[in-house]
Amino acid sequence: MDRAFRREIAALDDVFRSVDEFLSAHGIDARTQLTAKLVVEELFTNFVRHDVGGRDEVALSLATDGDRLIIRLKDFDVDPFDLSEAEPVDIHLPLARRKVGGLGLHLVRNLVDELRYDYDDRVLSVTAIKNLERRDV
Amino acid sequence: MFDIRRTESGDILMSGRLDASQAEKARAVLRTIEKSCVLDLKHLEYISSLGLGVLLEAQKRLSDAGAGLTLKNLSEHLREVFHLAGFHNVFNIE
Repeated sequence: MDRAFRREIAALDDVFRSVDEFLSAHGIDARTQLTAKLVVEELFTNFVRHDVGGRDEVALSLATDGDRLIIRLKDFDVDPFDLSEAEPVDIHLPLARRKVGGLGLHLVRNLVDELRYDYDDRVLSVTAIKNLERRDV
Repeated sequence: MFDIRRTESGDILMSGRLDASQAEKARAVLRTIEKSCVLDLKHLEYISSLGLGVLLEAQKRLSDAGAGLTLKNLSEHLREVFHLAGFHNVFNIE
């Protein structure tokens, strides 16, 4: 699946609809579907909220490669923005010292098996790979 | 589709998908809570980081007032997400 979506939170319904269609058509189990949707939303909203210029649309592609689900989002004509340098979240802090934000990338890092950031020719690409449970076909 | 409402017993019932586009709707209801309260997540299918942030914000505010939220009826997926977020350290989870 390759699609472009408006760079705004209101586009999330369209994003989820497309992700649902792809994952269901490929027989992905329910739990992995929820994880995949969470990863897509977190990366998509990250692009929206850290708007660093660029086009009005964000590209999303989903693919399977054997027992791997490959999620890739691209932001075009943007200044460099290295998501890997985002400050880590300390989930062990007491409530009074916990910050409300910053959980999105923390969740993504912990839910996927591989996460890559690439920046080339003003295109930022984030690729998340989730190993799938074996499916009976 | 996301919904949040107070039940006759006084619990807060959430259902559907609490994503970034619905976080403000959740925040508006949680801001009305002034004492300890149970959040029944039996019908909550999905939550993302902005939804988690809304819960954490409410818990911090209530904690300052000597109260707190109890979360119950979490699905296996929600338990995993809440655990990764470290919420087992800062919420009472049944």
